[in-house]
Amino acid sequence: MEPEELLNIIKGRRSVRSFLEKKIPDEHLKLIMEAGIWAPSGSNIQPWQFVLVREPELIRKIKLVSPGLFGNPDALVVACVDRNRYERAGKLGYTLSLMDVSMAAQNMMLMAYSLGIGSCPIASFSKLALKEILGLPDNFEPVLMISLGYPEKWPSPPERRPLSEVVYVDGYGKHYRG
Amino acid sequence: MVTESIIEDEHFKLLTFLIVSARGCVEEPPIYGPLRLIDAAEKLIALMDKMGKADESLREIMKTIHERKFSVMKDEAEFIKLLDELVLKISRIIKEAR
Ligand SMILES: Cc1cc2nc3c(=O)[nH]c(=O)nc-3n(C[C@H](O)[C@H](O)[C@H](O)COP(=O)(O)O)c2cc1C
Repeated sequence: MEPEELLNIIKGRRSVRSFLEKKIPDEHLKLIMEAGIWAPSGSNIQPWQFVLVREPELIRKIKLVSPGLFGNPDALVVACVDRNRYERAGKLGYTLSLMDVSMAAQNMMLMAYSLGIGSCPIASFSKLALKEILGLPDNFEPVLMISLGYPEKWPSPPERRPLSEVVYVDGYGKHYRG
Repeated sequence: MVTESIIEDEHFKLLTFLIVSARGCVEEPPIYGPLRLIDAAEKLIALMDKMGKADESLREIMKTIHERKFSVMKDEAEFIKLLDELVLKISRIIKEAR
């Protein structure tokens, strides 16, 4: 693969908030989930647990307790961190687990995009309500949802802060001029 | 008699949205408070429309919210401009009411 191809996938992924009523094939969902578990994790602890939600009625129920979930996605991935796993990483375990699960989420969204599937990371939902509705055990904390579906349209990209503002070279102060 | 599930009831949907949003707003970015309110307003107009209570001017407000609410994630100043426009639109409805 040309490096530009990967950059185009990274740049082209958008947060999609309106979806067509069209089913995602099972094999594509599997690819998306597989991309998730191949993310790196601190000490390879893999603190994640995912709930893949496909049942339309359950998606409707989850939508009721998720103000940040827009549109009607075909599937949802509820990404959880598992206390029983991240505690093994000591005091930093929880913080690291959030990093780990975020990397998994990005992998999934990029895989989705490469399959023509739109996604949106969603943190605005009630953890309490979601735990109740999905019957999650106490050690599972849902931290991020990913909605998945074919986009009604791909939104225009929100601006990014330029490299020259966010990157310093060899210490603070010297802005990257790349 | 066919009884509709409570989760399909439009009033119930709005109710849960309000309760869950109230809790979410405790920790979320302050500008998401206005977003949730305006989102609830859009849902309320949709509900009024279903009940035959929304006229063209209310439907116009609903459409404006639907099309521009996500500016909150792109351009906060643009989002606040939208809120001002909505206040003006609703004020005109109030002014012209008899
Ligand atoms: C941790 C995290 C939480 C997010 N939560 C939400 C959310 O609850 N609802 C939503 O519509 N978008 C959410 N987003 C999406 C962002 O608004 C979006 O990524 C940002 O505006 C940039 O747009 P882009 O993803 O299209 O590049 C979230 C993104 C991240 C990374």
